[in-house]
Formats: sequence, C-alpha cells, structure tokens
Amino acid sequence: MIARMRLAVGVLALAAGVSAQAEPPLPPPYAGAYQPQGVDEQGFWQKMDEEERRLAQSDMVIRDPALVGYVRNILCATVGEDRCGAVRPYILRVPIFNANMAPNGTMQVFTGLLLRVHSEAELGAVLGHEFGHFEARHTLERFRAARSSTDILAWAGVLGSLAPSYDVVRAYRNLEITLISSLYSFNRDHEREADRLGIAYLNNSNLRPQAAAQVWERLIEEYQADALSKGLKKPRLDRVPFYATHPPQVERATTLALLARPEAATRDDGAARYRAALAPWLPQLLDDQIKLNDFGASEYIIQSLAESGWTAPLWHARGELYRLRGAPRDLVQAAQFYGEAIALDPAHPEAHRGLGLALLKTGQAAAGQKALLRYLELKPDAADAKLIGMMIPKEVPAP
Amino acid sequence: MMSRLIAALAVTLIVALLPSAAMAHKLREQGVAVSIADSPLTVTPGRDWNRLDGNVGKHTETWTLDGGQLNDLTFFAGIEPGKPLVRERSKKREPLPKFGAGTLLVELPELFEATYRTAKQIADFRVTDVQPTRFLGQDGVMFTYEYVDQDQLTRKGEAHAAIVAGRLYMIGFDAPRLHYFERNIGDFHRIVQSARMS
Repeated sequence: MIARMRLAVGVLALAAGVSAQAEPPLPPPYAGAYQPQGVDEQGFWQKMDEEERRLAQSDMVIRDPALVGYVRNILCATVGEDRCGAVRPYILRVPIFNANMAPNGTMQVFTGLLLRVHSEAELGAVLGHEFGHFEARHTLERFRAARSSTDILAWAGVLGSLAPSYDVVRAYRNLEITLISSLYSFNRDHEREADRLGIAYLNNSNLRPQAAAQVWERLIEEYQADALSKGLKKPRLDRVPFYATHPPQVERATTLALLARPEAATRDDGAARYRAALAPWLPQLLDDQIKLNDFGASEYIIQSLAESGWTAPLWHARGELYRLRGAPRDLVQAAQFYGEAIALDPAHPEAHRGLGLALLKTGQAAAGQKALLRYLELKPDAADAKLIGMMIPKEVPAP
Repeated sequence: MMSRLIAALAVTLIVALLPSAAMAHKLREQGVAVSIADSPLTVTPGRDWNRLDGNVGKHTETWTLDGGQLNDLTFFAGIEPGKPLVRERSKKREPLPKFGAGTLLVELPELFEATYRTAKQIADFRVTDVQPTRFLGQDGVMFTYEYVDQDQLTRKGEAHAAIVAGRLYMIGFDAPRLHYFERNIGDFHRIVQSARMS
C-alpha cells in the first residue's frame, strides 16, 4: 500500500519534470547474424559458447517443448520476429525471480519468474528488458570491467585449494557464483537503457506496455509482504540477485509507466492465454516456492495469482503452506484450504492427503483417516502409500 | 560489487591461512562403537570413515570417505521440537523449517526436503520413495530422494529416521548419482543397522 502511495507520488513528481519525455525510439532495423568483433568480444563469445554447452546438459533445464516454445513465442511477439531469431531460450528450474541473456544469444529464464508474472505482456516486459541488454551489448562493457575480478577469482581458487576444509570449498563456490553473476549485474545506466529498449519493444508489439510497470510494482509488494512476515522493518532489495544494481524499483516502475504508449493501454495483455499455458506447470512451481519456507512471499504470490479466481491448485498450495508452518492455528486453516481445493476438484489426491494429515494433527482422527483413505484410493501408487496406509486402521469404512 | 568481492576474498584468505591444526578431522575406525554428537545414539561402522570437523547443526555430525561432495553421511542425533535440522544462517531473514512435537513420521521426508531446498536454495528435489521401517528399535521411516545441487550435479540420497522420546534421530547419506551412490550405499546400510540407543 505504502509502495502504491510512494509510487503515486513518484509518478506525479516525475510527470512534472519529465512530462516532455519522448517515447523511446527503437534501435535501427536488426542486422541479423552478428559476429563478434575484436579480441575481447571473440574471447567472451567463446567462453559463453562453452558455458551454453554446459547449460544444455544441465539437469536444471526444463525440457518441455511446449513451455519453451511458448516462452519463445512471447519473446518473439515482444521484440519482433526478425530479432528473436538470435535467441536460444533455456528455462531453468530455479525458484527465484530472474532472467538473463548472454551476448551469444543464450537466454536463461528462471521458473521463479514464470510463477510471478501474470500475463504475456508482463513476461514480455522482462524478456524484452534482457533482450535490450543483449542488443545494446552491455555485457561486453561489463566483461572488460570485470577482467580484474576474474584474476581475483583465479587467486582465490588457488588459495582455496590449499585449505583442507569443505567449508572453504563452499565459500569459494559462493565467491564464484558472485563473480559470474557480476558479469550479469549491469550498472544503473545500462539498466535504464535496457528498460527504455524493453518498453520500446512492447510499444511496438501487440502487447500492453503498461504491464511492464505492474511487474515491478507487484515485486515491491512481495518483498514488503515477506519483510513484514519476518518482522523486518524493510526488505533488503540489495540482497536480491536481480536487484542489487538495478535502479530503485519505485523509480523504475514510474519511469516505465510514463514511457508506455498511452493509447496502447486497451491492448490485450494475454493473461488468460498465459494462465492456460502455465497451468500444467503451476502446481510444481507453487510447490517449489512453498518449500523455500518463505511464508510471507509465498502467501503473497498465491493471493495475487488468486486475483483472477481461486483454483484447486492454488487452494492446495495455500493448505500446504500453512501445514508446513504447522502452528495449531495454521493447521486449522490448512484443513479449511484443503477443503476448498476438494470442493473445486474432488479428485485432487494431494488435497485429500493434506486434509487428512491436518485433521489428524488437530485431533480429528476419524475424519483424518477417512481423508487419507480417499487419498490412497485416488493415488494407490503414491510414494508414501505404505506409510500412510499404516496410519489408517483397517475397520474404517470407505467414504 | 567491488567491495563485496574484496570482502569475500579477505574471508577466503583468512580461512585459507588459518593454522590447519584447528581443523582436526577424526578417523572413525571399523568395528569401534562411537557415540554421535554426545548423544545416546551409537553406531559401529563396518569400515573406516572420516568424521569431518565442524558440523552443520548443534546435534549433527558429518562423515565422509572421499570428501563431503562425493559422499556425505550426516547424523541428526536428537533434534529437539521447535528446532531446525541444521543451523540457520540467519534466524530472522532465512528461517528454516522446524521439527515439531506434533510432526508425524510421514511428514519427516517433507521436513527434510524443505530444509534442503531452503538451505541450498534449490528447486529440483524429489522424494522418490517413502517406506515404513524399524529404526533404533522403533517404528521409523526410510525415504530416498534425488536432487540437483547448486553445482548442477545430480545426487541421490537415502535417510532413515525415527522419533525417540520426542526427539528426532535420523541418518542420511548423499552422494552423486553417478558411481558414488551405488558404491557406498552398502556401507551406509551397515551403519544404519548398527545404530543403537545406549
């Protein structure tokens, strides 16, 4: 709420100062198969090609042609058919909000991003932003700046290998992760340029450019909800991978709102199509989020997805979230949420399982065992079927 | 960015240059019964193991053969209700799921899974099997799992757990799916079979 107010104030302030801000232009027509120039860029591309080979083999990559194709289509719809040919998207099963693009055309989209955007236009806004970095070749400048830090990495590796403890190896690996992400963390000017490019793509597409601001607005709210539930004064946005060097989110949301072409506000943002395409993956993405033990953020994500209508997977996820936290009042609420899921989809096996466990733990043994029995009927080959079976006395009649 | 880099480098340097006498790993010899983390849990290894110095939590111990990344045998010896399985990096900012007085056996795999996902910040974790078993003379649970760690290596694991007098006792074994898991799963089973409450 406060974010909204600050945002509104920001919009006014900016509108006064930048009312004459012109709509950002698109870069010149796309030149097609670009080849790296000069020793720095060629070397960097080679490194990225090697990285891509490794990525393509990774077990973290989701290899669902339908989902990958859909994400690719959204990118193409955003930046245009001629541009998107240069991109090879990979979807990584990582439950955080992030996406990045290497200069050789490798695009990494994290599942945490897919869970958090609500429409094709919103996903297009983020992918277009990353594509903007790619088209403006920001990574090359970062690479030149980062060569000194790569030397640091080499030395840390040598010293780390001298030390005997596993913890040192782990610390070294953390260092490596930081450095690799430092190649991707652009400075604020780069971010602003990519934002402007991203919105220019959207303005020229068939998608609704106003969606770009929504993404950041919702993200601020998520971090605030998370901080609130942890009893923190305010969220540490600088610790979040995608944000560390990004412009202040409020500034960003306001700028994006201003740059969006006003007459495009009535365009379709493809929210219904997005929900349909993501539906097969939604239960898994929700599960990945819930098991991060981040109660405030997970609750916010579920609630905001439910704005377009509660579904059985959403109720079930909420039940799981509350049952995992496990305070007595949580269990009572979890049972209620599982009940809502079952009302919408009586054949949802995991909802019956959750209901049964929540009831058992709140002292309602008979009803709990009945729900567990229904779970086993619906999913006789479940991994935990035998153990659940032992919790049900034989004489309980079938529901 | 740069100052964080320098800080990280300084930490690495300091740790690397600490006198190595402070890092005393211990040999756990074949056939010699040892108590785990000063708890009533005792095991008798069927072969020599190395106990790594340092632990991931208050009531834990980690053993290995070739190093923690290739075979990681972790004992959770008497986790109290209200406590997480491993130490929290930050109680406030990164809380871990807690074992509770009301936790059911069938929920232990979920607790373990949520702990791994939260502590390691990974998404790809699957519990592949859950079976009732006898462990430490009690009804217990045995479960197997598979996950992709941040180093992008797929690991397999198996754990046996029981709740004794309100406290959680569990032994888990993780190793890369390729070669290492199959090679030492028998050694792990021998340790599980030898586990007693003294």
